[in-house]
Formats: sequence, structure tokens, C-alpha cells
Amino acid sequence: MNYRRMIQYVLMVLMALFLGAFLLLPVFTVVRTGCDLSLFKELLLSPVCREGLLNSLLVAVTTTAMVAVISLVLALLYDRFEFAGKEYCSLLMLLPMILPPFVGALGFQQILGHYGVVNTILVSCGMERVDFLGGQGKFFSVCLIEALHLFPIFYLNLITALGNIDPALDEAGANLGASRWQRFVRIRLPLLRSGFLAGGSIVLVWSFTELGTPLMFGYNRVMPVQVFNGLNELESNPLPYALVVVMLTVSALLYALMKYLLRTDGANSAVKGSMGSRGTQLHSWKRFLPTLVFLLVALASILPHLALIGAAFSVRWYNTVLPEHFTLEHFDNALSNPLVLPSIVNSLRYSALAMLIAVVLGVLAALMVSRWKLRGAWALDVLTMLPLAIPGLVIAFGYLGMTGRYAWARAMFDPVANPLWLLAIAYAVRRIPYVVRAVSSGLEQTPEELENAARNFGAGPVRTLVKVTLPLVAANLLVGALFAFSFSMLEVSDSLILAQKSIFYPITKALMELSQILGSGPASACAFGVWAMVFLALTLASAGILLGRKIGAIFKF
Amino acid sequence: MAAVKIENICKSFVPGKPVLDNVSLEVTPGELFFLLGPSGCGKSTLLRILAGLVKADAGRICFDGVDITELPPEKRQAAMVFQNYALWPHLSVFENVAFGLRILGVKGKKLQSEVMDALDTVHLADMAERRVPSLSGGQQQRVALARALAVRPAVLLLDEPLSNLDARLRDSMRSEISRICRERQQTAIYVTHDRQEALSMADRMAVLQNGGISQLGTPRELYDHPANRFCGSFLGDINFFEGTVADGMITTAFGKFPLAGAVAGANCAAIRPERIRFVDAGTCGAFAATVISGSFGGDNTQWQCEAGGVRFAVLETASPERHSGDTVYLKFDPDFLLAMK
Repeated sequence: MNYRRMIQYVLMVLMALFLGAFLLLPVFTVVRTGCDLSLFKELLLSPVCREGLLNSLLVAVTTTAMVAVISLVLALLYDRFEFAGKEYCSLLMLLPMILPPFVGALGFQQILGHYGVVNTILVSCGMERVDFLGGQGKFFSVCLIEALHLFPIFYLNLITALGNIDPALDEAGANLGASRWQRFVRIRLPLLRSGFLAGGSIVLVWSFTELGTPLMFGYNRVMPVQVFNGLNELESNPLPYALVVVMLTVSALLYALMKYLLRTDGANSAVKGSMGSRGTQLHSWKRFLPTLVFLLVALASILPHLALIGAAFSVRWYNTVLPEHFTLEHFDNALSNPLVLPSIVNSLRYSALAMLIAVVLGVLAALMVSRWKLRGAWALDVLTMLPLAIPGLVIAFGYLGMTGRYAWARAMFDPVANPLWLLAIAYAVRRIPYVVRAVSSGLEQTPEELENAARNFGAGPVRTLVKVTLPLVAANLLVGALFAFSFSMLEVSDSLILAQKSIFYPITKALMELSQILGSGPASACAFGVWAMVFLALTLASAGILLGRKIGAIFKF
Repeated sequence: MAAVKIENICKSFVPGKPVLDNVSLEVTPGELFFLLGPSGCGKSTLLRILAGLVKADAGRICFDGVDITELPPEKRQAAMVFQNYALWPHLSVFENVAFGLRILGVKGKKLQSEVMDALDTVHLADMAERRVPSLSGGQQQRVALARALAVRPAVLLLDEPLSNLDARLRDSMRSEISRICRERQQTAIYVTHDRQEALSMADRMAVLQNGGISQLGTPRELYDHPANRFCGSFLGDINFFEGTVADGMITTAFGKFPLAGAVAGANCAAIRPERIRFVDAGTCGAFAATVISGSFGGDNTQWQCEAGGVRFAVLETASPERHSGDTVYLKFDPDFLLAMK
């Protein structure tokens, strides 16, 4: 073995150690603490816990069903037709992903609250007010706002799966007399299973463990909120650990169930079409119909955020359709709150560091699997994808457990002393899959011969990486980094659990605290939400300018 | 312009199934040497081993007597023209060609002039600032060649460089590559499966089969005197006649004929279709045959004939009209009727 190969193996071992320490060990710590029969018994006997589990499952299933319907309609429209502004419509579908759902929850209350926009309209039409956000209304509000945030993940997976279906398969069906509907049910839908599995499993696990949105709606009878609420008495009552173990087990079961239900039996490998499918060209006014659907969905997903902006700028928005008397006072209030400015700086530091870690580890993992072809790299590949199936709440809880259990962890990462590294690593570990996927897809699309050519012309491994490999996958790398950064900025569960002192609060936790202050709190929180969105939009826009025409690479992700 | 020595190279990707089995050969300085063989014979693997992109399981490679077997690709001075050109799409034509020179430390005006020289050699000087994806296949091929030539490599390696071009372009590029290599006295090793390419361009060539060298020599030696049935048929159409070989003669179903040279254990004779001539009845050494069919090719016609129940091909230039069933008289050119196993 030459020294270069040795360095590659050393890097692989180091990376495995890192993931072992910050992904497997926290899970192990949680399982070890929470795996207590008496705790499980207590948990099963508690009607509150049983209700929490059931509600969480219902939220997950309902959200996933909503997401599946929205995404399928949009993906089929995108795949089947050529319509006005098609490329922009697809870009528009990325928007909901970068809008934090728990921020949207603030705006959503403005729309559907007791004295909100919808109820005002109902009253003006002579109808009774409806309690949208009370009782079952809360449940559906949580599902809807999560669905509007998560559908792009499902949509992108479906688009990819549809793109892989050879158009000749559909044409063969038509040739044999199958109607449009029969072809859809008998040919396309079964071939879309891989897309359903990839998108569905992420959405299902994500919505099952989502903490921020139900917390903002005050929908407390779900497992993640119960875990969060148990945090304060963790020293005396380890029940939340058992709840987290249940959550982890259910997540794994949900994932396995999805995989079983949507098993493909290798059928998809036969349909990798190289021909680009071209949709039917729509003419005259029909060209705008699919565009309208895309715009409506986009509008629905940004409506809560628009309401948030309205609330942030208005002196009063109460029992009226539109906000009244505009002011900038809330923005001043938000910025003058001692929590706000430090939280922006904190979030920037955590997210930038997280992005750096995720990019370095993600690029290394992608290289190990796609290029260096090291023995055992498959295990690393599995390990880097694992965070998709492990809820963030579990990892955050694991870190807490680690700092409680291991002296070295407490010495290095005590969240009370300074959670910078712990939060950055927590954010990064959960974003590595996105970077690995983005970079791997770039590497797969780039012939290895281009790197061989560089070596052949005298460039060493590092120079080849810097001059050839990285520039060729730059768009993918930037997209991965962008996802890592923006998701870190919006991260809720790690932030709420690991940032324990107000001077270390990131944006999300500061926002949450601000919204709970009586009086001007919610309005200031809305203004702060707008600041956060503007800030995020600026970051993403600058990355978009950097990407230039390569922005389309996002869709290859 | 290095001499290349390949000694006992072995390579297996799957245990027990060698891709290269004890291959040895030498290439003299300034020679344009061809590795010819069908798909899967190991020729590209051998080239990649020379470039250092694949590691040999055993054996040694020397450039000018210096063992380079363990050197990484970037230290070998063996520039390669890849089959799919492997041009970097994020760099301009100029930057692609300048890449290797920059690594060698060439800068400023010297860099500029050397890159332009290389591009001039392949007639692409006016395309220096173009992006690679905007070039045609032929232009890309020439950029790949210029990139390799620019670094003035000890050995130029070419991996089926013309296989992606259309027939017309391929013809012009063949003479272009030959010209450049000869002008520069460039040692070059060229991999192809196209026998016409090898026969028309090579100084010397090796025919590879199942991971080993089947025959090595000049194109004419290999074509006129193939060492075995595989080489004979891989380099062009050839007839094999089974029979009894004794005392420099072969006895076939339709006569007894003198053989050119002797091969121990030979049991057949081989002759190319153009080495069989139509003659008049009664000519010394002639034998009677029946015309079965003919394939008119403009300046020549390939006839299928039968004699003593044996079918064979005869290539005739400027041929008169013949019909199936006609009786004709044929004669083997005795210098090209080869004994074979």
C-alpha cells in the first residue's frame, strides 16, 4: 500500500471515528439511558404519552399524505407538459424549503386566528366564526404548515424518478391501447415507487419528529413537544429519554415500513431512460393553467410568511382583512431586544461552522465512495446517510446525555459553558447527507477520466482535486453547502435543546422566546422573523448569483 | 523521445482471469508503435499501466532504462490522448493545453508561445479562447492531441483517439497524427482495434489476444506472414485450407501445393484472397474451381469460389463479368501460401 492510499484510509478511519462519536454514540447514550423497562411501563400506562405517540403518528401520516398529493400533481404537470415559465415554476418550488415553518406558524395564526383574516371574511359574509386553531384545527394547521414546507423534498424526488422513466414505456402502453389513466396507474405509478420511497420516508420521519411547528401552535400533545417539555426536569425524571427511544424506534419502523410497502424488486434498474422526455406543448391560454397551479401552491406556502410580514409592519391587524396603519416600530423593538442581535451573530457562527464541517466531511465521504473506492467505504456511505432516518431530537438528546455521562464530552462540549462546537457539530451531522448526495451526484456526472487526465499531465492528487475535481462539481458543492447553511439557520430541535443560556441562543430559539413575551412580543417576533427571512434570502440570493446559470444543478440534487 | 521497455506485465481485475498475462515488448525511440486487438484483449489496460493509471500486479516498465513501475502518473512524462479526449469543460482550449506546462513551471511568454505552438501544430491556433463544449468532435480530438504534445512527453500514449470520429475525419487525422509523430520523432504507443489504422500508420505493431502478444512486427510482416490463425484473420480476410502437410507441401481436397516456409505441426495452409489469381486453364500450378457468388466493390470484386468441396474467397481487381456456376482456373501465389497450425 503506498502512502497516498494510506492517507486515504487514515482519513476514512478519522471520519468513521467522528461519525461514531457524534452520531452513533449519542444514539447509543439515549438508548442506554432510555432502555428501562420500568420507564417503558410508565410511558405505556400514561394516557398523555400514549396520546402524544398517536398524535405524532397521525401528524406524520396526514402530513405525508398531503405532501404526496401536492407533489404528485405538481410533478406530473411538470413532467407531462411544456407550459409558460416552466423553469421558473420549478425554482419557485424551492422557496418553501427555505422558509422556516415555525416562523410561518406566526403568520398562519394571523390568517386563521379567531380574529384573523379568514374569520373576518366569514363574519362580513354573515357567517359564524370558526375556531380553526382550536381542537382539531390545531392538528390540521400543524399538518398543513409542515406539508407546505416539506413538499419540495417529495416533489424533487418525484421529478427525478419521472425523469428516469423511459418515455418509450408509456408509448408502448399507448400503442397497446391503454388509456391515459390506465397508463398512469399501471405504468407510471409503479415505476415511481423509488421516488415515493425516497421522498416519503424523509417527510414521514421529519414530520413525526418536528418540534418547532407544534410548539408554535401550542399543540402540546405530540411526542416531540412532550420530550422538549420534559427537558427541565431531566435530572430527576429520565422519562424523556424513554420517549426519545420510542421515537427512534417508531422512526426506524416507519422507514422500514415505507421501504417494505414501496419495495421495487429491482424493476427500476430496467427503466433508466437515457432519452430526455419532452412534455406535451400547451398552446394559447392552456399554457398558463399549469403555471397557475404552481403559483397557487407557491402562494399557499408563502402566505403565512406574507402574513408575518404584514403583521410585522402593521400597528394593528385585528379583525380586519388587511393590516392597518403601517409602522416600523416592531422592527426597532425586535432589534432593541437584547436577545435578537446576539442570536443573529450566534446563528451565523454556528451555521457557518456547521456548513464548513458538513462540506469537508461530505466532500471526503463522496470522494471515498465515488473515487477512492476504499474497502469498507460502503459502511461509511451508510453512516453518512443515517442522519436522514435519525430524528434531530434524538441526536440533540444524545449530546445532552453524553455531556452528562462522559467527562471528556463535558470538558469539551458542555452546552452550558459554550454550545458553539456542539451546536455546529449537531447541525453539521444532520446536514452531511445533503452535501454527500449533492457532491456524489456531481462526481457521478463527471467522468473520472478528466481527473486521470490531470494526473497524466503531472498534477498530484491535491492539485487534481483543487484544479479539476472541485471546479467541476462546484455547482453541486455550492448547492450542498447552501442547504447545509440554510437548514442550519432554520434548525429548531438542536437549537432549543442545546442552547441553554440566552447569550448563546440562535435565531430560532430567540424567536421562540420573543413570541412568548406578552404584549408586544408576538409583533416583535414577527418583525424578527422578517429580519431572519431577509437575512436568509440575501445569503441564498448571493449564492444564486455565484451559481449563475448553474442554478439548474439544484434539480439534479 | 524515450525507449520503452515492458517486462512481464501481469494484471487481473478478477482473480484467476488475467487481463494481461506476462506481456513483454520494447519500443524504440521515435517509433510509432501500435497495440492492436479486439475488445477485452487488454490493450487499453496495458496503456493505462504505462500511464500509471492502473497498477500492474507484476512486471516492470522502463523508460530509457529507468524503472518507472512504481512512479505515480504525474511523474511519468507519459502524456495520454484519452479515448473520449477528457478535456476539462471548465477550462478554455488555451487553458487545457497550458495545464501540463504550468505544472512544469512554464510561465509568461514562454507558456503563451508553447501553447500556441502546440495549437498551431494541430491547426487550432485561432480557437485558443473557445470553450471546450463549443468545439466539434474533431476539434476536441485535436485539442487533446495538442495538450499531450505541448508537454513534450517522453512517451505519447494514444487510446483509440479516433474511434469517436466519422470515417472522413478519421482518415485525415490518421495522416495528421503520423505526420506530427514523425516530425517530432515522438515515441508513441497507440491503442486501436481498427486494423486499417494500425496497418496504415504503425512503424511496428503488436497484436494482442487474451492478454498476451500474439505477434509483433512491422505491418507488412504481420499482414503478409501472420504467425497464427487469429493474427491472420484479425488483420484481414484470409482463407484457410485444411490438409496434410509434409515436405513443404500441403495436400488438400483439390490438389497439392508448395508452402512458403515451414511450421512444426502445421495442419493447414492460409492465403489472403488477393494472393489467389485467376489464370488460364493449363497454367502450371492452376486448379479448377466453381464461382458461387460475387460481391462487386467498384475497383475490385470479392468472389466466393468452391473447389473440392472447399469454399474460399478470391479478390480480383478490374474483374470481368462472371456468373455463379462458371468454371474458373485459379493459382496460389506460392510466396504467400503459409503453413499454419
